Amino acid sequence: MSEGIVVGGTEDIEEGTAKVVEPEESGFDEPIAVFRTETGCFFALNDTCTHEEASLADGWIEGEDVECPLHSSMFSLRSGKVKGLPATEDARTHRVEVRDGQVVLFPGTDADPDACPGQ
Amino acid sequence: MASPRRIVVVGGGVAGYSAAAELRARGYDGALGLVDPSGLPYDRPPLSKGYLLGTKDAAGLRLAPEAWYTEHGVELHAARAAALRPAEGAVELDGGRLLAADAVVLATGALPRPLRVPGGDAALTLRTLGDAERLRAALAPGARIAVVGGGLIGAETASGAAVLGAEVTLIEPLDPPLVPAVGEALARRLHAQHAEHGVRVLTAVPERIETGSGGAAHRTYHLTLSDGTAVEADAVVVGIGVVPDTALAAAAGLAVDDGVLVDAAQRTSNPAVFAAGDATRLRRPDGTLARRAEHWEAAVRSGQAAAAGLLGQAPPEFGAPWFWSDRHGVHVESVGSLAGPGEVLVRRTDDGVPTAAFRLAEDGRLLGCAAVDGGLLIKAARRIIDRGTVVDPETLADPGDDLRRRAR
Ligand SMILES: Cc1cc2nc3c(=O)[nH]c(=O)nc-3n(C[C@H](O)[C@H](O)[C@H](O)COP(=O)(O)OP(=O)(O)OC[C@H]3O[C@@H](n4cnc5c(N)ncnc54)[C@H](O)[C@@H]3O)c2cc1C
Repeated sequence: MSEGIVVGGTEDIEEGTAKVVEPEESGFDEPIAVFRTETGCFFALNDTCTHEEASLADGWIEGEDVECPLHSSMFSLRSGKVKGLPATEDARTHRVEVRDGQVVLFPGTDADPDACPGQ
Repeated sequence: MASPRRIVVVGGGVAGYSAAAELRARGYDGALGLVDPSGLPYDRPPLSKGYLLGTKDAAGLRLAPEAWYTEHGVELHAARAAALRPAEGAVELDGGRLLAADAVVLATGALPRPLRVPGGDAALTLRTLGDAERLRAALAPGARIAVVGGGLIGAETASGAAVLGAEVTLIEPLDPPLVPAVGEALARRLHAQHAEHGVRVLTAVPERIETGSGGAAHRTYHLTLSDGTAVEADAVVVGIGVVPDTALAAAAGLAVDDGVLVDAAQRTSNPAVFAAGDATRLRRPDGTLARRAEHWEAAVRSGQAAAAGLLGQAPPEFGAPWFWSDRHGVHVESVGSLAGPGEVLVRRTDDGVPTAAFRLAEDGRLLGCAAVDGGLLIKAARRIIDRGTVVDPETLADPGDDLRRRAR
């Protein structure tokens, strides 16, 4: 899948929050969370925590990490890597681009961990 | 102590595993062994939650996939350590094999506190995967299950048993339990949930347990309680706390007092032995002893601190302690401490249901917060506690306030 979809304008996602894109909208088989950090970057991960049923979009976003709301597993928003137990499996990333104030998500395409879209 | 080159971790619970992972994360490149009779380290909290309910399987409990140990050069020994031999630079395994060790992380955890009444040893306990399997086998629909102890594990077990269709009786002397952990208001709300979910709650303690004469498959138990009530059960489960497993430490002559005594760097009284997790108890610089921490995150943190200590590095700074519990469809969390002096404020929904409790010091600083289904509130409270921010009490009590903004 390489076709990007417009998730909304950059202003539609407040800093330090996330928006969930459902499978019906993305064509990807799982919900995707699109995060906006307080430094203004946009990142996307599979929304469901790899540990147990919980939405990472409801988690605590600090710096470039998100902490699961349920058991506080921590993931890097950039790379999806687990940074804190109890999760042991990395979260899947999806590429995000910001074009003309629009947040564009590429469901199923890995993010470039060096990119900081939106900055 | 010179920088160790051969480290053996004894005990593969979350404390031992965290110590091993942190040693590698901090760049330790010497030999590293991990000894535990159960082999691959697994996580315990799901044993009374998803694993009991059958929504999580044994593979889902692993703290890391098998390949992780090879990739990180951690040699697993599926064996019991029989003795620490720090003077000889070794750990002795059952059967007599010696593992070379110039430093040891002792993380033997805790054992269920036994129910010391006549017949009390007939009861099941819940600490290991094997325990959880035995318990699960007893939880057939309609089976009569007596749960002794309404604290964290007892309440989760009662909840899981009820979901699986068992006929559950919960026997607990306090009404409600857990006040020091979550404050009175939430403790009441949580304890009342048992009855709402069909669990019969008896405020008493068992005085004796008689085992019926049926064969193993049809065994029944007859409990006599302190108030004279008789309870018939097909299985009895006890969750009345834990005792630290200090056997190896004591035999090796380490200082032990209801826990292996450690300092802030997790050092024991023997410079070649560090200890972490539920087995340990902090001795403060002034010689006083802290309460033992018996929660998951404390075990992770102390394992990580032991790794730093072993490498001669400064202990990482950790904030207020935290724990969670899941039962009867709600998620409970607590950070800091609700016990002790100070004012306790309760946040309630519009119809009066308590959702969070806060303990405040006289100068307004937050000392503890507990919440039901309030994960983000707890994360905010944790930061507020750690930073010593003073938040207006009315804000804390306001159910409409998003505490997150105050913690940024
Ligand atoms: C059923 C259950 C549910 C829980 N739920 C929660 C929860 O929801 N939230 C929370 O915060 N905490 C919870 N806890 C507590 C948390 O799991 C413990 O605090 C944590 O497991 C402590 O880790 P540990 O590594 O110190 O000890 P343990 O997990 O007890 O591990 C110790 C290990 O050492 C091994 N060992 C002992 N002696 C030897 C020896 N001689 N040689 C080799 N190995 C040895 C044991 O086999 C064991 O594997 C729960 C605990 C249980 C049992």
